Amino acid sequence: MNQNGYKITTRNLSLSYGPKLALKDISVGIRTNYVTALIGPSGCGKSTFLRALNRMNDLIDGVQTSGEVLVDDIDVYRNDVDVVALRKKVGMIFQRSNPFPKSIYDNIAYGPRINGIHEKNKLDQIVERSLKQAALWDEVKDDLKKSGLALSGGQQQRLCIARALAVDPEVILMDEPASALDPLATAKIEELIFELKEKYTIVIVTHNMQQAARVSDYTAFFYIGKLIEFDETKNIFTSPKEKQTEDYVTGRFG
Amino acid sequence: MPRHFELELDQLRTMLIRMGSLVEEQIDYAVKAITEADVALARLVMQRDKKVDEYDNSLDQQCLRIFALTQPVAMDLRLLMAGLKINNELERIGDIAVNLAERVESLLPYQDFVKTTSLKRMADAAREMVKRAIDSFVNNDPALARKVLESDDFIDNLDRETFNLMVKTMKESPEFIEPAAHVMILSRHIERLADHATNISEDVIFLVNARIIKHHADSSADGGPIRT
Repeated sequence: MNQNGYKITTRNLSLSYGPKLALKDISVGIRTNYVTALIGPSGCGKSTFLRALNRMNDLIDGVQTSGEVLVDDIDVYRNDVDVVALRKKVGMIFQRSNPFPKSIYDNIAYGPRINGIHEKNKLDQIVERSLKQAALWDEVKDDLKKSGLALSGGQQQRLCIARALAVDPEVILMDEPASALDPLATAKIEELIFELKEKYTIVIVTHNMQQAARVSDYTAFFYIGKLIEFDETKNIFTSPKEKQTEDYVTGRFG
Repeated sequence: MPRHFELELDQLRTMLIRMGSLVEEQIDYAVKAITEADVALARLVMQRDKKVDEYDNSLDQQCLRIFALTQPVAMDLRLLMAGLKINNELERIGDIAVNLAERVESLLPYQDFVKTTSLKRMADAAREMVKRAIDSFVNNDPALARKVLESDDFIDNLDRETFNLMVKTMKESPEFIEPAAHVMILSRHIERLADHATNISEDVIFLVNARIIKHHADSSADGGPIRT
């Protein structure tokens, strides 16, 4: 966290996929231990922005990035930044849950193991703690050897959250984490997000505006690669300052 | 499963209950100020109205926020709707307490006259109605709310009687025109208190039983739930 309470700050962040400019000059501060939601119509740049925060866009050919993304005041696009360490610190949860074809236990222990932890006691503790934090422990504690793929969709998504937590991240990026889930599984994920923000800084992309309203403290509205408005969620959903934001949240366009 | 916005709904209820206690006390003081000719107490009522107004604004904001952020449904939605309306009723009750208090000084020379009227009886009954209406909200008690509705006629009758008696007094004893006019207006204020208590009770029945009974929309206790 920097002195102003921001975990992540972007300065004039622009990004293009080849000739196509996807993000234009985004400057924003993401506060520590709060949930920030990114909303906007398809193609507005919200997922691109999310993926820029832990350099996931590096994996795509032809991506060019300019400006700065500061995590704890360090620009993650500096040449000497260890990208693996960055992604450990800034974890990610995707729309489709993607457990490894391994046991529940091994899914969680995977990250700690590649980070050099091999003592069984320690791994046991990490697995239990992570599953508890992800509100999955009670449902799976008697059968940790079961394949992660045998769990329900909602449980798989919580397993992925537990897997991300196992490597002690500080920021969790979520790209539509509940869009493939039924309403009850969605409600569980939303409650989980609310609990996790005590320890982590969370940034979530969602197509579901009501979800953004329910789970987030701050909301950023993107439109055609630009950040149109950023404010406390309660202001965005009761009295947005920009007409485009008002039109989007009321369903007049998008 | 725990719901984190439960906390917000609890806060809303708590705020309404606190505001309810405050306006109940405001009526208490205002009635006492009139019946005991206590000018200092009347001033206190007028000063404290600011607090009632503060509750009004905070509750409006709290409801707006919960509506926008949580998309409440069913019982939660009814609590929000009833909460907004009860807030409005309580704020009006608070205003009436001020209206009553404002006449205390003008009535000082006419204490004996005031004592001959039904004002005290009316005020006690209206205060009891407000108290019960608030209790019915606090305890989610539609049966108590229905009792409040039943008491409204008693006050309406006393108001009519008082009106007729004051008109008669004005005609027969012109020296009492001024206090009689004050009493007439006070009587109307008190009658309005009872109306607001009635509205709160209707909101409580809506909240708990999901039935709209105002304007006799559904007068039967066992009528079906709302269908639109």
